[in-house]
Amino acid sequence: MNIHEYISSGILEAYMLGELSEQERAEVEKNLAQYPELREELALLEETQERLLMEASIAPKASVKAALFAKIEAAPKAEAKVVPLTPTQPAASVWKFAAAASITLALISSYLAYDYWSKWKRTENNLAELIAQNQQVAQDYNRVNQRLDKLEDDLKITDDPSFKRVILNGTPNAPQAMASVYWKESSKEVYLSLQSLKQLSKENQYQLWAIIDGKPVDAGVFDGDFAGLLKMKDIGSGAAAFAVTVEPRGGKASPTLETMQVVGNVVKG
Amino acid sequence: MKGKDSLALEYLYDHYSGALYGAIFRIVKKEEIADEVLQDVFLKIWDKIASYDATKGKLFTWILNVARNQAIDKTRSREISKEKKTTAIDNVVSRIDRSGFSEQGIEDIGVKDILKNLPEEQRFVVEHLYFKGYTQSELAEEHNIPLGTVKTRLRLAMQQLRTTLGVT
Repeated sequence: MNIHEYISSGILEAYMLGELSEQERAEVEKNLAQYPELREELALLEETQERLLMEASIAPKASVKAALFAKIEAAPKAEAKVVPLTPTQPAASVWKFAAAASITLALISSYLAYDYWSKWKRTENNLAELIAQNQQVAQDYNRVNQRLDKLEDDLKITDDPSFKRVILNGTPNAPQAMASVYWKESSKEVYLSLQSLKQLSKENQYQLWAIIDGKPVDAGVFDGDFAGLLKMKDIGSGAAAFAVTVEPRGGKASPTLETMQVVGNVVKG
Repeated sequence: MKGKDSLALEYLYDHYSGALYGAIFRIVKKEEIADEVLQDVFLKIWDKIASYDATKGKLFTWILNVARNQAIDKTRSREISKEKKTTAIDNVVSRIDRSGFSEQGIEDIGVKDILKNLPEEQRFVVEHLYFKGYTQSELAEEHNIPLGTVKTRLRLAMQQLRTTLGVT
């Protein structure tokens, strides 16, 4: 094929202008595929045509473009409809993430709340326990202190030479019984300490008697369960002996001699 | 573009609508018709872009042929509908319209400058093919010029324009 003659026939221009029959068109395309010179010539023709038309441009009104794209928007293609679906995917996953995060947060915060609550509860219990222990220690301390004070007071009396100690021994009614009386004649004070006396019923009490001038004088009642010294009623001077009887609660004016538990004479001198 | 991306179509519109409208307007000679044809052309491009084969030519060539065919079809359908009309006033008005446009027509400064270096007979062919909606066959028939002569004149004109437009 003579390329130059083929080009000169003007068939490429006709091809470019779309004026060929299907058969002629197919033949030109076959030749174009075969001959690079033809492709080059066609490219130059197309470029010339495009530049010519570009030079002859008339700008359409802006409203034409707006109306055109409004039509395209109004009737989107099936393929185009698929596009808007993609942006929802990340949005959904964001929500999913947010939901997951908030659930995790809720779990963590409720765990922390429970943890703090139980810690607080435990601390509160510990504190109550410590306060109770502290109170107990304080009470014990006070008790010990009071006891110490008592013992010191008792010791002053028992150490005091001006107090006479009178040992009261058990009578045949209570051979194991034993008590002591500290008596200061000058001040008339009388203290009692118990070594061994049996427990009485609630209806009865012990009653201490001083024997002065052969007559029993009431020195007060007591229960048999105290420790240390117990201050009794003051008595007059010249007591020769002390005795303890069992009497109805509150005591009696005169002793019931049959119930005498312990008795002791005052040592002269 | 083949992915039916409307942004790509917008790019094509921004790039080529002036060139296409220039051709369409000169063929149909009425603004509202030209507007309509231009929209139809781009809707057709939007619809048929998948059938464009880049191995068979430039995209603009394909688009221009769509536009030219659309404009010619529109003009012919209007001619037919006009022939059916019987009122004298319509005919008078339409004649005035047409003459007004033909006066203006190819006298556009830009195109005139480019075509002025062409011999009269070549310029005649280019004007009729690109700006008056004729095919080479129609031009040959209507003006009693052998088809081979029309082809040769176009061929020579295109070679001259290649130089004028700086195509290398």
